[in-house]
Order: sequence, then C-alpha cells, then structure tokens
Amino acid sequence: MPASNLKNLTIQIPDQTTAPRGWAVRSLWARNLVTFLMVFGPGLIVMEADNDAGAVSTYVQAGAQYGTHLLWVLLILLPMTYFVQEMVVRLGIATGQGHAAMIYQRFGKWWGLFSLSDLLLVNFLTLVTEFAAIALALSKLGVDPRFGVPLSAVALTLLVATGSYRRWERIVVALCLLDTTWLAVAWCLRPPVNEIIRSSLIPSVPQSGITASFVFLIIAIVGTTIAPWQLFFQQSCVADKRLRFSDLRWARLDTLAGAVFTIVVAACMEIAGNASKMRALAFIDPAQMAVDIRAFAGVGVETAILLLMLNAAVLGTTAISLSSAWAYAEVRGWPHSLQLPLRDASGFYLVYLVCVALAAAIVLIPRAPLQLIILSVQVLAGVMLPSAIIFLQLLLNDRELLGPEFANKSWNNWINWTIIMVLFVLSLILAAQVVAPELFPQG
Amino acid sequence: MRTRTKNEKRDAFLVVHPLDDLPEEKRDVSALGRMPMTLSVRLSLIALRVYLILMIGLVVYHFLGLAQAFKRVAH
Repeated sequence: MPASNLKNLTIQIPDQTTAPRGWAVRSLWARNLVTFLMVFGPGLIVMEADNDAGAVSTYVQAGAQYGTHLLWVLLILLPMTYFVQEMVVRLGIATGQGHAAMIYQRFGKWWGLFSLSDLLLVNFLTLVTEFAAIALALSKLGVDPRFGVPLSAVALTLLVATGSYRRWERIVVALCLLDTTWLAVAWCLRPPVNEIIRSSLIPSVPQSGITASFVFLIIAIVGTTIAPWQLFFQQSCVADKRLRFSDLRWARLDTLAGAVFTIVVAACMEIAGNASKMRALAFIDPAQMAVDIRAFAGVGVETAILLLMLNAAVLGTTAISLSSAWAYAEVRGWPHSLQLPLRDASGFYLVYLVCVALAAAIVLIPRAPLQLIILSVQVLAGVMLPSAIIFLQLLLNDRELLGPEFANKSWNNWINWTIIMVLFVLSLILAAQVVAPELFPQG
Repeated sequence: MRTRTKNEKRDAFLVVHPLDDLPEEKRDVSALGRMPMTLSVRLSLIALRVYLILMIGLVVYHFLGLAQAFKRVAH
C-alpha cells in the first residue's frame, strides 16, 4: 500500500495471539472454492431478501395484469442492481463500517439524520407489509393470524439473537435457496417459453398502451428490485462479517450470483401471475391468486406459493429489521454485531425487536388495503432511492477516504449517474402522473 | 486471509473464515472528519432534499386517492 495512504489507516491490534484456524487445501481451485463459500452470503441474502412479500405481490400483479410484457424490465434491472450493490461492497470492505455511520461521519449529522429517518420510515412501512403478507398467507393456509403472526415475530427475533453471525447467515442462506421452488412453480404452470424469451429480450407494451397503472407498476418494480435498505444492509453485513480486502472479488461474485438468482426468481413470479391472466382470473393479491389457480394447477402449487410468500416475508423482515438496527446502532455508537450476545449489544437487538414487534402488532389491529399499501411502499422506496444512491455515489468518489484502489473509476461513475438519471426520470413520471393524470390514459 | 504454508511434503493453502481471521487495517473514516463540499454540491443536496419531501407528499396523496379516502371524507 502506498505510504501516502497510510495516514488514512487505523491500525487495529489483533486480539488473537494464536494462529487463525482454517481449512487446509492443496489445490488453487479448491482454495478459491472454499474462500468463495466462506465469503458467500451477504450478496445472496441482500438480493434474495429483496424478493420480499411486497416484491412477490408486485411481480405477480405485473404478470397477472400485463402477462409477460414487463419481463424486459427485470433484465434491465439486473445490471443496475449489481452495480449499485457492488459499490456498497467496496465501501464496506474498505472501511469496515456501515453505511449510516459513513454518511454521519462524512456528511455530518444533518444529512445523516435525514438519511437515517428516510431509511427508518420506509423500512418500518415495508415491515408492516411483510407482516400483512404473513397474516394473509397464514390465513389461506388455515392458520389463525392472531396466533401465527406473534409466533413469526418471536421466531424472527430468536433467529438473530443466537450471538452467532454464522448461524444466522446459514439459516438465512438456506431460506434464500428455498426460493428455487419458484422455478418449479413456474414450470408446473406450463409457461409460454417462446413468448417469455421474446418479452425478456424485446421491450414491449401491452395492447392497452402506456397507461397510468402500467407506469405505476414499472416504478413499483424498480422500487422493489433496488431498495434503499439494501445499501445499508449489505454494507453493515459485510462489516459485521469482517470481509477482508482480499475477499473483494469473491464478494463481487456473491453479489452477482445473488442478483442473477433474484431476477430469475422474480421472472418466475411474473410467469406465475401470467398463468392466472391466461385463464382470465381476477387479481386481488398473491395469496388469493394461489387459491384461484388450484383449480388447474393443483393443491401442491397453491401450497407452494403460499409457503413461498411466507418465506419471502420472513426473509424480508429479518433483513430489513437488521438494516434498521445496524444503521441506528452505528449512528448511536452502540455495539452492533450479530456475533455479540444479547447482553453486550442490547440496544442493537432492542431496535430489531421493536421494529419486528411494532409491525406485527399493527398488522393485527386494522384491516388495511394490503395490495395498495404494498404497491405504494414500493413506489415510495423507488422515489427515495435516487437520493440514497447519490450519497453512495459521493462516498465512492471520496478519494481521500478510499484512495484510487477502492474509489469509483470513471466508467463506474458513468453507469451510476445513468442509473440515477433513470430513477429520477421514473420518479418525475410518477409526479406527472399524480399532478396531471390526464396525460396518461387510464387503464 | 489466505496463508500459504510450506508443508514438509507439499505446498498447502490455509483458508481462513473472515470471522476467524486476524483483524485487518481499514480506512479510518473518523480521522478524516467531514467531506469537503463545494457550494454547488451543498445546494444540490438541499434541492434533492426538497424534491424528496415533495415526492413523498405526492406518493401519499396518490395513495389516498387510490384508496378513495377523499371521496369518503366528502361523504
């Protein structure tokens, strides 16, 4: 490392006097494989947890209303989501700190407070939708939500409170991999393969044209595929896992694999929605759709979709609550690691618990229009995303902090500013849609 | 950190999990203080904040419209 950069380094004195334990392997490829498996986790989790209950609703609704017409949007979102999250990985590995702490320290309290309050607001609203989906799926499975929702909240709290990052990560990675079942579900519904390939590669609009609801749904898809909490979550996760400089390429691969997996699963959700459209079923919500398609797909597919919806909500809840807890604890200077037992990081775990418990409690009280809330939260996330990415972009161009090795290259900046502009244009279209709805044909 | 250790018979690689490895020197954010921002960057961020507040208001308005909250109030 150049001497000029040494002034920016904090020397942390190792707390271990013995040699680190590890796996001895003899070949280079085995070394690479084992290293990748050890680094693997945050990228997959952040991407797949983004296929949460709201995402299931949004993607399935996209398929149910517009068939395969919106598949091309997913293909565009694949590189976008990767490039955004890759920046977070670099920042997390270079600094060993979370995103909220970084904004506070480099931009000051005022901007830090805005950034944190945006995150906590959207996260909390999203958590309410996660529990609403849990309640919905459980009721369709014949479980009383008054019993099932509190039980889910307790299970979600126990999941993080084991004092072991590794244990939490293994369980959550297993839950992520359960989403491969979406591929089987899509296959069982006999998808129109040629149409899917054509719609994925060639952008198209439905026969009804570009209507208000079509645009609203596109913004919701963008909002659910790249969400602000992901930036905070992955950087904190990378920091908590203590990924090293040498892990960067494996962490990038983890993120890319997660992005591809997530987009494939999202496409399967749209294909499931398309199956209901092909049979002219009215779409209300994904749980009702699962019940409706039992008539032609069988009870197995119905149960699978309901359980996958539950799994999506559980994944979303743990990741989103953790992003809030990490961010809040970082800013307050509290100990914040899944490696710490409850008594050593009580504030961090308390924030997690409050997020989960409050969202679960709210769901049990009112009977809100679930589908509308979910879609609006996704749009809100889409609206807030450009501002979150601008902070990220400024941080990644902070050469004083990151040096030339980790700072953005000019091609990174071109891509990122393009992404930011696309997101701004989408949010401006949303604004136009609200202020002057007559500009958009209703459909 | 992956350490290549010389075995008596053959070379081997020791692959260590990040959580088991020795802590690494990281970039020190706190020593740098605040990022220097030009007036134009500062004004852009303020404009962004105003834009965001307006957009949140619009989304809430749109949501209430779709939920037919205004019609209920009128009734």
